[in-house]
Amino acid sequence: MQRYAAQRLLQLAPVLVSVSVLVFLMVHLVPGDPVQVMLQDYGTPAQAAALRHTLGLDRPLAVQYGVFAWRALHGDFGRSIRSGRPVSGEIALRLPYTLQLTAASMVVAIALGLVLGMIAALQHRRLPDYAAMVAALAGISLPSFWFGLVLILIFSYYLRWLPAAGADTPGSLILPAVTLGTSAASIIARLSRSSLLEVLRQEFIRTARAKGMREWRVLYRHGLRNALIPVLSIIGLQVAGLLGGAVIVETVFGWPGLGRLAIDAIFNRDIPMIQGIVLVAATIFVAVNLAIDLLYALVDPRIRYS
Amino acid sequence: MRAWASRPGDREDRNTKIARRRLLTRAAVAGAGAAASGWLSGLASPQAGAAAQGAPRRGGTLTLVLAQDPPSLDPQKTPSGDASHFLLYNMLVSADRSSDAFLPELADSWAIGEGGKVITFKLHPGVKFHDGTPFTSHAVQATISRLVDPQTAAPGASWIGPIDHVETPDDVTARLVFKQPYAPIFSSLRIIFLAMLSPAAIAKLGPNYGQTPVGAGPFKFRQWIPGDRIVLDRYADYAWAPRFYKNRGAPYVDGAVVRIIPDESTRVIAFERGDLDILPQAPAQAVSRLIQTNKYQVFRTPTDGGYYLGLNVTKPIFSDVRVRQALGWAINRDEVVDYALEKLAVPMDSPLAPTIWGYSKGLKHAYHHDPDRARRLLAEAGWKPGANGVVQKDGRPLAFTAWTFPLETNVRIGVVLQNQLKQVGVQMNIEQIETATLLARTPSGQHDAILISYGWPDADILYYFFHSSRMATTNRVHFSNPQVDRLLDEGRVTVDPAKRLEVYRELQETLLEQAPWIPLASPYAVTFAQPWVRDLYVDKYGDLLTNDVYIQK
Repeated sequence: MQRYAAQRLLQLAPVLVSVSVLVFLMVHLVPGDPVQVMLQDYGTPAQAAALRHTLGLDRPLAVQYGVFAWRALHGDFGRSIRSGRPVSGEIALRLPYTLQLTAASMVVAIALGLVLGMIAALQHRRLPDYAAMVAALAGISLPSFWFGLVLILIFSYYLRWLPAAGADTPGSLILPAVTLGTSAASIIARLSRSSLLEVLRQEFIRTARAKGMREWRVLYRHGLRNALIPVLSIIGLQVAGLLGGAVIVETVFGWPGLGRLAIDAIFNRDIPMIQGIVLVAATIFVAVNLAIDLLYALVDPRIRYS
Repeated sequence: MRAWASRPGDREDRNTKIARRRLLTRAAVAGAGAAASGWLSGLASPQAGAAAQGAPRRGGTLTLVLAQDPPSLDPQKTPSGDASHFLLYNMLVSADRSSDAFLPELADSWAIGEGGKVITFKLHPGVKFHDGTPFTSHAVQATISRLVDPQTAAPGASWIGPIDHVETPDDVTARLVFKQPYAPIFSSLRIIFLAMLSPAAIAKLGPNYGQTPVGAGPFKFRQWIPGDRIVLDRYADYAWAPRFYKNRGAPYVDGAVVRIIPDESTRVIAFERGDLDILPQAPAQAVSRLIQTNKYQVFRTPTDGGYYLGLNVTKPIFSDVRVRQALGWAINRDEVVDYALEKLAVPMDSPLAPTIWGYSKGLKHAYHHDPDRARRLLAEAGWKPGANGVVQKDGRPLAFTAWTFPLETNVRIGVVLQNQLKQVGVQMNIEQIETATLLARTPSGQHDAILISYGWPDADILYYFFHSSRMATTNRVHFSNPQVDRLLDEGRVTVDPAKRLEVYRELQETLLEQAPWIPLASPYAVTFAQPWVRDLYVDKYGDLLTNDVYIQK
């Protein structure tokens, strides 16, 4: 198990290298010049040249990448072109907010998704099943910027229970987490329903029932645990979706997370910032999926990593 | 702030502005309801809100809002100023908006010598920065040296003009010496790029000035949670507010909070919940609903810029001036105002908006809606009726693509223009393009036309848009005309205001006649304030004047 985890962690290296090369190429291929954006064209040529030199943008691309990679290996992503502050510092300020939001919406997604999925599976082809699946379809289809605003309108404007924007009170997290978690919940609901239905048709379930096991025990020990494996892998993939969806949700709710930092960085062609954020996001994504793979073994003893 | 709406993009300007220092002329003192009804009855220039009922109260917090974080709280490291900067900093002069005059701020008086090449400022004595160090002529020198140092890479550096050096004969005298006269200097001196910085803090903080900013303004820095809020404390020693304020001392409120809320709709809801005290630049679609609630103070003010259609004159179809003029006659600006801008704008008959210093009334080359004249001009230029109602010449239709930013207002204006131009046989396509891409692609002239907006309080802004020396950068229409160059150069060095106005009148006439730009409309800024915000003023550019403000809930 440890050996497997170590191997997987080693695989992180090539992933990060390719991601960094790709992002590096992409930010240099899209039109737009960070110096131009910063000085807004009203600067003098001397200023532009000085700034370009300070940022190292006057050097060959390969050298620029080399410098970036060498520094990044030492945990230094350089300074943001826009704010002049160290990229790692800015990410460190914003990452906790995004992790909080992602974790909270994951909780919402798993709780809501599994409950809906189980209800639907157990009430197969009855009203609760249809209701749950319609809800799930709606959850996937609702665009989060719209759904978020509707939640704000109801809970923040009319009922005044929760703040509309910001991150200053614990209640601030609720609406963004629900907004972000809803579409993931829908996917989890649909998948856990079909997975559970599949498992419940298996012969070992019939055997368990036949030997007089209580129904909730059948469900929990034999049904759910077996049904969870595909669900787990989709949860891992959903984390990527949540990190991406956070961009929109953070904007709607004024949540000071990494997603908004990324958007601003892209609009401003803040190359060091874009690279830093993408590397951090890629690392998180790989780490989460590794954690999920390790979880398989816990859920299903047949899976062993050796 | 609007000052930087002058850059061609206005992505960041939306809802972020509130900015320069300005003088207020109190037009009328009105309660919330009266202010709301005044909204319907034409324009009162500077607008006063809910007025004092007895003595102002101390305490409370003033909560403002921005759409995004300022890049830096260092005024020399930001391409645009906003509420957070103007609460922290003071400049040497402020502007009297009602009379085009400039008033003392940190400078008490000034004298212009050597034909405009030397300006000697007498500084206000006893001013202290937030770090406790005194404001002296050395601060003026250090601020300007840092601004023009290429290593600083200050986006606002060019606005100081051809400065040579700053002399400091004594602590309260600062002498700005220019290589040649620079007439727009006072417009520049009151913008945020020329905010006075503490020399001690410059030495101590270096490039990190913006992380713990030190100014001489009414509020001092406490905390900045990026993406969420900037928290400022009342600066108790403040005693040098510009003289148009009743309160020349420290603010009545204990502090100010600048919230960062990127989404327009969320911002409006946060305001309606009472989480925000002031909602600047309310989105057009929310304005009439907010007014109808009759709950808030409403300030409607003009702005110092506007929308225009810029034509790349190096493109074959636009190289003929008659085609450009035809576009000028084909457009109905009233419809642009009514349909695209929800009547929250005035039509523009000059490249300069009416509030910009240098704007001339009654220009004889101004365009109005005359589609027949447009058709005649096109016919004279050899364009004949062709397929699908689009005129053509040598088998090529008169069609072009205008680049604009993916902003609702820009696109709506584009659609109105598209329809109007179609009436005279011109086909206009609209392509939405993001700011950095537009900035990168226009210098090489890949575009046919651009549909964007600008803002700046002085006519010298035209230098950037039309001077042939700016071709590779801000002259996005690739326009080159010796007479225009001469007038732009002259406007810079003509220190006598009356003569300078004449120069700009001639320039506006020439630009209208040559028609590299089709001016469209200058939008209003609509600001809402909660009823408990007392003695707030919004000047004729939509900038907030907050030193008299107190909170009475």
